[in-house]
Amino acid sequence: MRSRLDLYPGYDVLAKRDGPSWNAKTREVLEKRLAIGPETRRFFDEVEWSTMTALAERIVPQPADRADPVPVAALVDHKLATDTRDGYRNAELPGEREAWRLGLRALDSEARARFGARFHELGAWAQDELLKLAEKGDLDSAVWEGMPSKLFFHQRILADVVKAYYAHPTAWNEIGWGGPASPRGYVRMDFDRRDPWEAAEAKPGREDEAYQENLRVGR
Amino acid sequence: MRIPGLGNAADNPKHVTPGDDPEHHPRARDGRAPNVMRIGEWVPMRQHRDEEEVDFAIVGTGAGGGTLACRLAEGGLSVVAFDAGPYFRPLEDFASDESHQSKLYWTDERIVDGENPLQMGSNNSGKAVGGSTVHYAMVALRFRPEWFKTRTLMGYGADWPLDWREMWRYYDQVEDDLKISGPVNYPWGPYRRRYHRRAHEINAAAKVLARGAEAMGIGWTPTPLATVSAPHGDAPPCVYRGFCTLGCSTNAKQSVLVSYLPRALKAGAEIRDLAMVGRIETRNGRATGVHYFREGKWRFQRAKNVVVAGYAIETPRLLLNSANQEFPDGLANSSGLVGRNLMVQGNQAVWGVFDEEIRSYKGPPSLAISEHWNYDDKGHGPFAKDFFGGYSYMSQGPLPQLWANTQASAHGLWGEALVAEMQRYNHVAGLKVVSEYMPQERNRVTLADVKDQYGLPVARITYSWCDNDKALNRHALKFLREALSAAGGREVWDQGDDTCHLNGTARMGADPRTSVVDADCRSWDIPNLYVCDGSVFPTVGGVNPSLTIQAVALRTADRILARRR
Amino acid sequence: MPMPSDRASRPPRRRAASVKRRVAPVRVEAAVHPVVVLAAVAAGAGLLTWFAAGRSKPLGLAAGGRSYSSRGHDVTASAAQRLNHASTMLAASVLFDSGLEHYRGQFFNRAMYTPIVVSSVTLAASLHGAGDTDTGSSRVRHAVQALAGLTGLIGFGFHAYNVGKREGGYSFQNLFYSAPIGAPMALTLAGVLGVVAERVRDADPDEPHLAGLSAGRSLAVATAGMLVGTTLEAGLLHFRGAFQNPAMFVPVTLPPLAAALLVRAATKPEGASQATAKWGMWAVSAMGVGGVAFHAYGVARMMGGWANWRQNLIDGPPLPAPPSFSGVALGGLAALELIERSRIRF
Repeated sequence: MRSRLDLYPGYDVLAKRDGPSWNAKTREVLEKRLAIGPETRRFFDEVEWSTMTALAERIVPQPADRADPVPVAALVDHKLATDTRDGYRNAELPGEREAWRLGLRALDSEARARFGARFHELGAWAQDELLKLAEKGDLDSAVWEGMPSKLFFHQRILADVVKAYYAHPTAWNEIGWGGPASPRGYVRMDFDRRDPWEAAEAKPGREDEAYQENLRVGR
Repeated sequence: MRIPGLGNAADNPKHVTPGDDPEHHPRARDGRAPNVMRIGEWVPMRQHRDEEEVDFAIVGTGAGGGTLACRLAEGGLSVVAFDAGPYFRPLEDFASDESHQSKLYWTDERIVDGENPLQMGSNNSGKAVGGSTVHYAMVALRFRPEWFKTRTLMGYGADWPLDWREMWRYYDQVEDDLKISGPVNYPWGPYRRRYHRRAHEINAAAKVLARGAEAMGIGWTPTPLATVSAPHGDAPPCVYRGFCTLGCSTNAKQSVLVSYLPRALKAGAEIRDLAMVGRIETRNGRATGVHYFREGKWRFQRAKNVVVAGYAIETPRLLLNSANQEFPDGLANSSGLVGRNLMVQGNQAVWGVFDEEIRSYKGPPSLAISEHWNYDDKGHGPFAKDFFGGYSYMSQGPLPQLWANTQASAHGLWGEALVAEMQRYNHVAGLKVVSEYMPQERNRVTLADVKDQYGLPVARITYSWCDNDKALNRHALKFLREALSAAGGREVWDQGDDTCHLNGTARMGADPRTSVVDADCRSWDIPNLYVCDGSVFPTVGGVNPSLTIQAVALRTADRILARRR
Repeated sequence: MPMPSDRASRPPRRRAASVKRRVAPVRVEAAVHPVVVLAAVAAGAGLLTWFAAGRSKPLGLAAGGRSYSSRGHDVTASAAQRLNHASTMLAASVLFDSGLEHYRGQFFNRAMYTPIVVSSVTLAASLHGAGDTDTGSSRVRHAVQALAGLTGLIGFGFHAYNVGKREGGYSFQNLFYSAPIGAPMALTLAGVLGVVAERVRDADPDEPHLAGLSAGRSLAVATAGMLVGTTLEAGLLHFRGAFQNPAMFVPVTLPPLAAALLVRAATKPEGASQATAKWGMWAVSAMGVGGVAFHAYGVARMMGGWANWRQNLIDGPPLPAPPSFSGVALGGLAALELIERSRIRF
């Protein structure tokens, strides 16, 4: 399996915040998002919250030494608290809020039933085992109240958690995305080309070069 | 005098966000509507009282409704156009952010089922003045002429009651109105007039398509796009920011919001934003107006004619929700076909990793296209066609959230595998089809028991592939895999379950028993009720439908105006 | 950990840590941008050329042995100076245009530095010539101008190859957006006009000849051809811009008309007035300068306008391009001057 790298050393998409790549609306939107802290919770109750945070860590794990991890659970909580919807739901799933409450509680009781502990108390291996069962739809005890665990896993867990993580500038830095771009867009669009305000990728042996370039993206 | 393009049309990065909240308080009121080309500015708008019987009440302001409203108003008719969504000024309201821009989508509840339940929302449904064109990918393609007569000429689907030569003239007109930026010579189909702007520079992702097509020995071309490559009035040329499907914050994109609607306002049309139409009233077999919810209460606008242009889900939903004693099965539904023959288009993709940096987030997502398989009916060897219909395919440029979601949902990655794979974002390129699925009566829109925030039953959308659709999917994925590999893609994988666009739930035809509306988009049952959007398509073809929707709307306007003379 | 890119004035916000912050060794960031280095090299080369040209200039009449009347010297020297004005304009246009466009191309190929250095030395040689009122050529200037002519041709070959190898080959897409085929020829034009300037200095002022032909007439026909070539380049790029502004038609209509006037001037009987053709040349020169203003307006019309100059200067209409018309037109003026005055004797 591939592993995570420091591929865009020194790149911080927020360095462009005050430049021509961000318009006022973008600054406003991102400011609000960055104000969501890891403990910002409005929708989930405490039981659901502990499961949610543990779950988020399994779906989009973050480096242990990351000083300021992406508050994934809080971002999902925010989506549900503001009732931001996808615009459709499978006929076999309840609404988004009910699905999350039901699903998290069901995961927790499956954890207790199979491993004798609550979901967030389990080790990574056991948590992943449970999630893999859900992924295949093999969790189907009465606690799910008829909601297919497979649909819950794919349409709620994956969709909401993954989108929450990749809505955060820290995740953008990690993948070397240019980030917000208006009014300034891009000029150089050919293979292997980058504008001076884009992330520079660390080529093997030339990491320092990329680092220097990345310090300049906000200029 | 104001020189075009100067002043605040060019975004000043230091400006502040607007004080009003267009998502909760209507902007088009008090005799004015937003000037979409300027920050904080307004244009005058003629307004009508509810009791005043206007010539046309149009439900929806997207590709169908907005275009039609413009032409009818320019023809001297009194027009009120309703939209359930907000009236945005892109320069000040649009952030460069995937999450935030979901405000452009129709995210009210809808229920999906069937063997292949559809994804709605971001994918295909807009809720804003300007409709889905505010977040469409701007691909502006014409139908192949034969597609207007597929039943007669190709043995599948249903014939349109329209002649392609007439449509060709209307395509000319839309392309002129939108200043489509396209190649100097388009390689497929009969002669067409030169596009009004040159094609955009293609990005690396599009060059991947070009390499693949050249290796496979088929044609390709820069895609004709409804975003200008050279200034047009207050619209600056595209800056290749890559957020096209999340709303264009520069106004380079010629959405209905910035093209036809300003013209409509100038010609005297009224646009009502945040106005959800819930029911069409009829009396003695004629429509008399629409009930709509705005500013906290239900109101009724009288009208001599009503046009439904809510796209292929909301249009049948409104017609069905308007059932009354006169029309117990819903309006215009004597054929029983309202809501039936829902057609989406295949949107399968293949993705691969490249040694070069691709950075497909730069530029419009679909800068290059091949329509080869729309025009080659036989194919040969491993790519012999064993199905009806065709497909085009285009390059892609997903932004991080969409790409991560694709990796998770279609590639099955999560955990460390996902975050590590996501780091190859800048090295990924993909090819994505827009393919022709068959009309099937079982694919349909019905009303569910669930009610939405307006108290109206929500749409239940049932969708399943037929064998022909599946055969097409197989052919397309197989071809795309080879093309992408030939272009240098490694670790190529399929995204096999994606669809786009909505059409066909109020089809047009020549026979009242087998269609909902006639060639002029007028319903067979109610002479002053029209449907003007993608719903009227009897077949979808293998190209993005917006240009055809707009061409049909222009024709409909001409027919309505001609009848009045 | 504070990063060097942080600005104190930024409002307080949460810091987003990247995957793994590289622990930065104490390092002084390269204070000089590579583009600055390039500019310094170009300027240095230009200065050296200037000095070199100054030293090697023959010392007036004594060096030659031929002797012409002083009035005759005025004619050839003045025409030569005018030709050097032309090559100055062209070389400057090439310097800034190739600098901009090759910066856009990220100097992906090292050869892309060449035109910047060569046009710098050409510019210096041309400027030097433009200020030189003496007859008699300079070997260094002559050599530099010849080098420019050659470099332009090689660049043309490079660009033509670059266009052809792209996906789609010699398609409009590549003619529009990959290396502009015609652009390097501007350097050749600068070189040719510069070489001609040196030759004219050496020519018999009473009857200046170039390669056995009448200098004025052959130069007039040649500059007419150059005008047509430059028009083709402008036409292609303005076609790319869909002639969205009516002013974009001016550089594809006025220069061919002026070129026709030049050709007519070359066929006129001796002593006839060349006023019309001269007006044509002055009009094209003015157009080239005015074009810069129009292009500046074009930059302002791009998204973000001049505030977004880092994008719009390279993505918008190129500011340095139009003066190449002025350069060629000045060459035309020199030709007219030679035709008009070559037969006037005292």
